[in-house]
Amino acid sequence: MICENCKQRPATITVTQMKNGKKTTRHFCEVCNKQLDSFHLNLDFNADPISMHKLFSNWFGTPSWSVSAPNVNEQKTQEQENCPECGMTYHQFLNEGKFNCPGCYETFKEQLPQVLKRLHNGAVEHVGKVPGSINELYQLKRQIEAIRLDMKVAIEEERFEDAAAMRDNVRSLEKKLQVGGESQDEH
Amino acid sequence: MNIEHFLHNPTTNWMQEEGQYGDIVMSTRIRLARNLTDFRFPRAFSDEEAMQIDKAVSNVLIDADDEEEQHFQFSYFSLHDMPALQRKVLVEKHLISPQLADKERVGSVLLSKDESISVMINEEDHIRIQCLQPGLQLEKAYESADQIDRLLEHHLPYAFDDTFGYLTSCPTNTGTGLRASIMMHLPALTMTNQIGSLISTMPRLGMVVRGMYGEGTESVGNYYQISNQITLGKSEKDILLDLQSVTEQIIQKETEARTALIEHASIALADRLNRSLGTLLYARILTSEEAANCLSNVRLGIYLGIIQNIPIAVLNECMLYMQPGFLQQHAGTTLQPNERDVYRASLLRERLQCNRELKKGHSDEEGEDSYDV
Ligand SMILES: [Zn+2]
Ligand SMILES: [Zn+2]
Repeated sequence: MICENCKQRPATITVTQMKNGKKTTRHFCEVCNKQLDSFHLNLDFNADPISMHKLFSNWFGTPSWSVSAPNVNEQKTQEQENCPECGMTYHQFLNEGKFNCPGCYETFKEQLPQVLKRLHNGAVEHVGKVPGSINELYQLKRQIEAIRLDMKVAIEEERFEDAAAMRDNVRSLEKKLQVGGESQDEH
Repeated sequence: MNIEHFLHNPTTNWMQEEGQYGDIVMSTRIRLARNLTDFRFPRAFSDEEAMQIDKAVSNVLIDADDEEEQHFQFSYFSLHDMPALQRKVLVEKHLISPQLADKERVGSVLLSKDESISVMINEEDHIRIQCLQPGLQLEKAYESADQIDRLLEHHLPYAFDDTFGYLTSCPTNTGTGLRASIMMHLPALTMTNQIGSLISTMPRLGMVVRGMYGEGTESVGNYYQISNQITLGKSEKDILLDLQSVTEQIIQKETEARTALIEHASIALADRLNRSLGTLLYARILTSEEAANCLSNVRLGIYLGIIQNIPIAVLNECMLYMQPGFLQQHAGTTLQPNERDVYRASLLRERLQCNRELKKGHSDEEGEDSYDV
C-alpha cells in the first residue's frame, strides 16, 4: 500500500479518524505521519504569532519537503509575486503563517492547496455553507460538477443513453449559469 | 445596556441552566470567522479600514434589533475605551477572546443581553461570531451563530471563494471558519490516569485538546476543551457530528471511570472530595490552582451524591469569582498576587458557607415532602 499523503513511499502506519461520525482508516508512510502528527501536537489556535511563524517556516522550509514537491522551480518564480491588494509575497506568507487580505488567496491559489492539505488532513476544497448571495450560482456549478462525474461513470459502464441525457442536462445548466442563474426558478 | 450589567453579573445567564450531560459537559461554544471583501485583514489594515468595518458590522446588528424586534438586544463596546480590568473580566467570562482584549487601537464587541452571543469586530478576522450554551448543545449553539451569520451576510459582502470557502486571516480557519468547542470536566479520567492516552488520541481524530485555565494542554481543575481541528473539506454538519460523537465517547469513558471509583475506592474518594470542601470552607489562603482543584473535587462530589447541600449554580459562580480579574473587581481595587490568595479564600468561604446553610434548610423541607409522597 502507498502512503495517502505523498503517494510515493510505502504506507507503514495506520491512522484511525472520525469522519461523518464513523471511524475511517488512513494509511501514511513514516515521514508523512511524523509531519502530520507533529503538527497536530503543536497546533494551538491561540498560540502566540512567533510559535506559529516558527512552525510554518520550519515545516515548509525543510529540505525533504521541497524535494518532494514536484514544482520546485515554478514555486520559486511564484514566490516573487506580490498580492496586488496588500503587497504580501508567498514567502512572507510562509514565514508569518497568516494572510494579509482576502486577495492573497487569489494571488497564491496555485501554491495554497499544498499548504491547506497539510493543515486540513488532505482537504483542499470547501464543502460547507455558502453565503446566500452567491448561493444560487455556486449550487449550479456544484450540480454541473456532480452530473459530469456521473456522466463519466455512465460512459465507463457503456450506458450511453444515460450519458447523453446527462450531457443535455449539463448543457442546459451551463446556459443558466451564463445568464446568472436567474432562470433556475422556472423549473 | 451598560458595561456594568456584564461585569457584575457573576453567573452568566447561559450558565444558569445545566444543559445536556451537565454533570460532565460544562459548555458548548461555536465560533464563526468571517471577513468582508475589499478590506485587508486586521493584522494589516489601516485605522480607516478598521473604522469602516466596525461601523458596518455594528450598524447591521443594532438596526436588526431595532427594526425586526429581534431578541438579541445587543450592546456595543469599544475595547479602546475599556479599562484593563474590565477587559480581563470579560475574558474570564469567556465573552471576549484574550486576543481581542489585547488590542490597542481597534477592536469592539457586541454582547447580547443574555450573554450567550458575542460578535467580536476586528479581532484576528473582521468578524468573529461566538455563541455559548450550557452543557452539550452543539446544534442549538450553531443555530444561534448561523442566525447572526445570515443576518450579516444579507447586508455585508463576505470574502468567500468557490474553492476555499470563507476566507480567513489564518489558513487553519479557511473553509467553514467554524470552530466548535466543548468544555468538559474530566476528574475521574484524570484520577484513574487515563487522561494522558485520551489526549494523545484526540489529534488522530482530528480534534484538539486544551486546558481551561492553563496554557496549552496543561489543565487546572480537570477542565478540558475539545475542538475540531479541521475547517476545510468537511461540512458544518459533519464537523459538528464528529465532535458530538467524540464527545459522547469521552462522556461514556468518564462515566465508567466515575462508577469504577465509587465501586473500588468509595471511602478514599469521599475522603478526598470532602477534604477539598473542607479546604474551601475553612482555608485562609487559596491560590487559583488550589481553588480550581478543590472546586473540581466538590463538583464531582455533588454529581456523585457524596457532597450535598451545595447548589451547582453556586459552584459555577465560585469558578468565575476565583479568577484574578473578578476578584479585583469585587474588591474594587488592584490586589497583589498574595493579597488575591487571601481575598479569594475569604470570598469562596463566604459564598459557600452562606449558600450551604440556606440550601440545607431548603433540602430538609424537600426531604419531608418526598416522605409524604
Ligand atoms: Zn507519505
Ligand atoms: Zn493580499
